[in-house]
Amino acid sequence: MTFQGVNFDFAILGPILALVVAGLLVLLVDLVTRSVARGVLYGIGFAGCAAAFACMIPLYGRSVTTVNGAFATDRFSWGFSAILIGTLAVTLLLSSLRNADDGGSPGSYAALLIFCTIGGLIMAGATTLIGIFLGLEELSLALYVLAGSGYPRPASEEAALKYVLLGSLASGFLIYGSALLYGSAGSVSIAALAASAASLTPLFLTGFALLLVGLAFKLALSPFHLWTPDVYEGSPIAITAFMTVAVKAATFAVLARFVYTAFGHDSVALVPLWILAIASMLVGSFGALRQRNLKRLLAYSSISQAGFMVVALAGVGEYGLSSLLFYLVAYALMNLGAFAVIAMLGDGDEAYADIDAYRALFYRRPWVAVAFTLFLFSLAGIPGTAGFFGKVLLLEQGFGAGPWGVALGCALIAGSIVSIYAYFKVIWLMFVPQEGEQPVTAGNSPLSWIPIGLGVAGVIALGVIPQLFVSLVSAAP
Amino acid sequence: MISAMVFFPLLFALVLLCVPRDNGPLLKGVALAGALGTFAISLVLLPLAPGGVVQDSLNWINGAVGAAYHVRVDGISLWFVLLTTFVTVPAVWAAFAYRDAARLRGYLSLLLLFEWTLLGLFTADDLLLFYIYWDLMLIPVFLALVGFAGTPQARRAAWTYLIYNLAGGLVLLAGVIGLVLQTHTFEVLGHGYHLSPELARWLFAAFALAFLIKTPVFPLHAWMPPTYTQSPPSLVAMVSGVQSKAGLYAFIVFAMPLFPEAAHYFAPAMLVIAVCSILYGALLAIAETNAKTLVAYSSLSHLGFVLLALFAFNFTSLPASILMIVSHGIIAAALFTLLGFIEDRVGTNDLGAYGGLAAGAPRLAVFMLIAAMAALGLPGLSGFAGEFLILIGAWQTQPVYTSLALIAVVLAAVYALRLFQGAMHGPLREPAGVGPIADLRPREFWLVVPLLAAIFFLGIWPAWLNDRIPLPSQAASSHAATVERS
Repeated sequence: MTFQGVNFDFAILGPILALVVAGLLVLLVDLVTRSVARGVLYGIGFAGCAAAFACMIPLYGRSVTTVNGAFATDRFSWGFSAILIGTLAVTLLLSSLRNADDGGSPGSYAALLIFCTIGGLIMAGATTLIGIFLGLEELSLALYVLAGSGYPRPASEEAALKYVLLGSLASGFLIYGSALLYGSAGSVSIAALAASAASLTPLFLTGFALLLVGLAFKLALSPFHLWTPDVYEGSPIAITAFMTVAVKAATFAVLARFVYTAFGHDSVALVPLWILAIASMLVGSFGALRQRNLKRLLAYSSISQAGFMVVALAGVGEYGLSSLLFYLVAYALMNLGAFAVIAMLGDGDEAYADIDAYRALFYRRPWVAVAFTLFLFSLAGIPGTAGFFGKVLLLEQGFGAGPWGVALGCALIAGSIVSIYAYFKVIWLMFVPQEGEQPVTAGNSPLSWIPIGLGVAGVIALGVIPQLFVSLVSAAP
Repeated sequence: MISAMVFFPLLFALVLLCVPRDNGPLLKGVALAGALGTFAISLVLLPLAPGGVVQDSLNWINGAVGAAYHVRVDGISLWFVLLTTFVTVPAVWAAFAYRDAARLRGYLSLLLLFEWTLLGLFTADDLLLFYIYWDLMLIPVFLALVGFAGTPQARRAAWTYLIYNLAGGLVLLAGVIGLVLQTHTFEVLGHGYHLSPELARWLFAAFALAFLIKTPVFPLHAWMPPTYTQSPPSLVAMVSGVQSKAGLYAFIVFAMPLFPEAAHYFAPAMLVIAVCSILYGALLAIAETNAKTLVAYSSLSHLGFVLLALFAFNFTSLPASILMIVSHGIIAAALFTLLGFIEDRVGTNDLGAYGGLAAGAPRLAVFMLIAAMAALGLPGLSGFAGEFLILIGAWQTQPVYTSLALIAVVLAAVYALRLFQGAMHGPLREPAGVGPIADLRPREFWLVVPLLAAIFFLGIWPAWLNDRIPLPSQAASSHAATVERS
């Protein structure tokens, strides 16, 4: 369909439209029937996820653009979009737990989550600087509110305030950088940047540096990570889970598109990115060591994991993108699984955020403890799990890519060694035999077994037969 | 066939988890059946030696870098496999006496899982598969130390064990990826690769670091004494008897054939490390008052001999080192099992706390005597043959290091006799509150007998094993020989 000179291909925009409809429907139902059960609203959101995913299936393996080339479905967006939609579904599940913080108004909460995901989808598919900024803002604005939906818990308000202040500063960097990039290339299209990227004009370098700062804020790459532990700790568990995965997936889609389209080779301009990645791996790993709050621990872990994922881009190599996607899928499985365990044990509240609550968990809830152990193994990169093959693929990209790649690979190894303690500390606590009285453990919602079960199955399947997924990713154009 | 053997213990570990935890006899029966069954399957492979090969390959990962599920048993890995399956049987059997009946199920399944990872390691022919088992085998030990050893010290020991070995593992991973980027496949064995000498040295260093930590040897052994001392007896019999051989196996099968030139380049450093381990371990064992720690230090010393043999690059020393590895595995398992019996009875392993046990437990004393004599290298017992052949072989190429290592033979007599005499001879001393100690029960008696029989057998007829090890031309030293000639 063409409207005022702009062509719209509804097949390509399908996933976004499905979610838009679901989001508006949630708001409408909430408005019309003020007292409808939370489950209904989340159910609509869930149906939206299913519809969006159904729209994704015919797009698999295609490379097409619409909105006059400003929005694309291709190898840079498909996988990331699928991860985003899956994360939304899991987050809705976790938000439906009995004690989950949704600020007392599930309608706006669910709608914001859905709009947030739409922002991510726009980022993943956008091929212009304007599209990226729009998507990023939609994602961020909704998340600022969601971070504070744990009201009146003060930590949640603190999280929202910190996030909005630092996040908008980051957006400022991003938009200013985009303006300079536009100035250097005369076009907002990323592909058009390739020429100035090759000649490395000062205007381009300044613009790219500012853009990188903005993206690094969103990815929580060190030294732009300072907001992460507080925001992750204060936000409701389901939102923290969403942030760790969805924001990373969307931002990495942008970063990968930039690196592959505008640079296409290992450029000097990317050196700052490598330095940020190395710093993140070390800061995140060391920072995780002393944490007693599991949400903070996973926040630091996500900082170092973001650094790991950058290694996939090190050589801008043929298999870099599929390695990144593999790791991102593994990360989504293990991280969402871990958050699902935390949420389930506390029935959605913060009771199990403290790691001391996990003492001797294995002897009270063996299956939960085994599942959690598996997710932590995967985060630590123990063989037999998805995280291990993720790291193998990342190391191949790193070590195969010149001096900076080798440095990144070594930082990955060093970061992994340091973080052994952080992850195994929790495992250790779970397997220490019981002393004294048995604390009561409540949460056992059947719904949260769905993400946990999927996580376990996925982590093992990708850990034992990575080929399953590798061939899926390589088949994409 | 090989896969069936490797996964047999895993299967039984999973079956165990389905048995109700209060059904003691059934649990014990299933666990022992698993261990015995695996041993029986591995015996079928025995006629392979020395030249035969059995393998099994399955396509696993295609792509930029390929890997295959490729398992293989040849004349060298056969002995490691047999050692594993042989030692696991008494270890599982000894575990029946685990003090908390309600937790027996978990403990037995961890032992079987551990056996699975060890067998997987010794049969892996693909570097990726090897690496997977290399890391996986840490997990059962870590969990057993945390959950089943029962003391705070053991829980702390779990950390040193895990962090040392996993850190080594990750360095190994870096080396593996570095190598695979040159070869484009994880199936690296049996091919000659032309790596630049500099790269080969870096990779060898990464491999060697991990292997030396696992063995362990002198400056990297900090994890060993707490782990060995705090582990429950069955576990430590397997860790010391089998797992400590994984690093040496990896040298023989992976590091030395893959990087022959680098192995020579690093040989002086390795020899220094070997001699330091031999002497330092023996000296520490002499000064040690805890019986389990004493045996741990003696392992440090004995495995130093194997490292000496490997890097002396002599034709006789490869078969000798395998003889030594097998023999040390059996002796260590026997010693730790017997010390476990004593610990059950007197509640401690502190040599100062008890003595003269021979009066109350003559059979235990005799068994202890045999194991201790084997450890000090008495002719006629298995410890002697390996050590002697190693020293003869190493002498021909490295007389200086070998003569230094010889000092440890004397020191071994001191600590082995001190261990035996301190525990068994003299007036009967028991810690307060412990009644008169009982002699070996029939189960305990019969589970140690095969280990001791093997010690005698290999001591009297070492040629039986020696003749079943492939000629060096098929193994690591062949590379050594070609390099020397060129």
